[in-house]
Amino acid sequence: MEKMEPGEMVRRLTGFIRSEGRFDSVTIENLRKMPGGASREIWSFECAMERGGETSRRAMVLRRDPGAHNISTNRRHEFMVIRAAFEERIPVPEVFWVSEDPAVLGSAFFIMERIDGETLARRLLRDDTYARAREVMPAQLAEILAKIHRIDPVKHKLDFLEEPGDNAALTEVRRYQENFRVLALEPHPAFELAFRWLLKRVPKMARKTLVHGDYRIGNVVFGPEGVRSILDWELAHLGDPMEDVGWMCVRAWRFGNDQKPVGGLGSREDFFHAYEKASGAAVDPEAARFWEVFGNLRWGIITIGQARTHIDGFLKSVELASIGRRTAETELELLNLIE
Amino acid sequence: MQDRPTSVELLEAAADFVDRELVPATEGARQFQARVVANVMRIVAREIKMEDPLVRSEVKALARLLGHDAPHLHSLDDLRAAAAGMGEELTAKIRAGEADDGGWRGEVLAVVRQSVEDKLRIANPRYLESDLAIRNAAKPQKEI
Repeated sequence: MEKMEPGEMVRRLTGFIRSEGRFDSVTIENLRKMPGGASREIWSFECAMERGGETSRRAMVLRRDPGAHNISTNRRHEFMVIRAAFEERIPVPEVFWVSEDPAVLGSAFFIMERIDGETLARRLLRDDTYARAREVMPAQLAEILAKIHRIDPVKHKLDFLEEPGDNAALTEVRRYQENFRVLALEPHPAFELAFRWLLKRVPKMARKTLVHGDYRIGNVVFGPEGVRSILDWELAHLGDPMEDVGWMCVRAWRFGNDQKPVGGLGSREDFFHAYEKASGAAVDPEAARFWEVFGNLRWGIITIGQARTHIDGFLKSVELASIGRRTAETELELLNLIE
Repeated sequence: MQDRPTSVELLEAAADFVDRELVPATEGARQFQARVVANVMRIVAREIKMEDPLVRSEVKALARLLGHDAPHLHSLDDLRAAAAGMGEELTAKIRAGEADDGGWRGEVLAVVRQSVEDKLRIANPRYLESDLAIRNAAKPQKEI
């Protein structure tokens, strides 16, 4: 990513917002880069917008692709999916503007409302402040997920979403199998056993819906009262809604709270029940289990990919490097699930 | 022959400094990175201490599983190469469906579990311990 002076970034951003929102004047204050987000830069700022003598102020966040080599249409897609969710009254940030023109800020980005709150799952699971949130969140997350799966892609013009075909599960397994073959630097018999297990148990897709694609507590903004917002919609696609249900049960999101399989917060049974109540659709435990095994395997392959990002020198980082030694955690969980 | 401290003693000293001095002196993303650094140094220290016997027993177990004579290897590099080579052989058999069911599946699962647990003994022993505790609590009767 070419470096841009903060002053230059403020100047360009001000011009962009003024012209996109047809404001008379725009003032940006306190622009700062937020920690984290290896695959996406996150900037936070306060924005005062004046039109016809009326001034409004909003706290905003800008999500930008890390480099010009990575020009894709994904920013616009994510923007449109979040907007659809917002219109369906799902708790997400309000999205304002999107740009894929590298002349504006060097790469694609979009701007949305900043939601204040906590995102660190460890705090949610350990701090007294969040005792109430821990109680209410499993049901909230099930209800929100049911709403996500009700989003009508046609109504919201989400026709860019990839079609999974008749067999979303098989499509996903094959896709990750290919990723795995490309990424793995050493043999992983536990993953091979998991792939065999999955291929023998591919479930029939009961419904085809919008799938969030990364629905886990790490992508939830919460407060002491519970869920405030669902983030990170870039992996949204059409497929089997049970994919999101299984992903929510992956062991890595429990942060050691293994007696509560759903994000370290609750039982599978309660979560499935709350989802069924909210969606009116039954959760087939066998299908959910398939997607939980798949989710663990997918996370394991992602850990290999993150280590490769470091090993190949694309992004040198001790954090990414260390994740390579977490792959074995997933292997152990997979053996527990398939034995 | 190098003088004391040993490599393990040096690494543990460095990791202690990061944990005790750098972690409390930083916050946010940097503090998280500091914890990662200390953790990485402790992984390497455990690997220096434990890799040799673990990879030796892994090579023996893989050879037995695949019906090979146990190779007589001494250097760590040779042992690692043998483990990787037989690991590839095993994954090819799994991909071909040879471990889908039948008696051999049980043997494969046992050897693979042992290898994975050995990786965790170095990478994250606490994870392994808590996993064992959960499994023992879940099935108290049948297991001996």
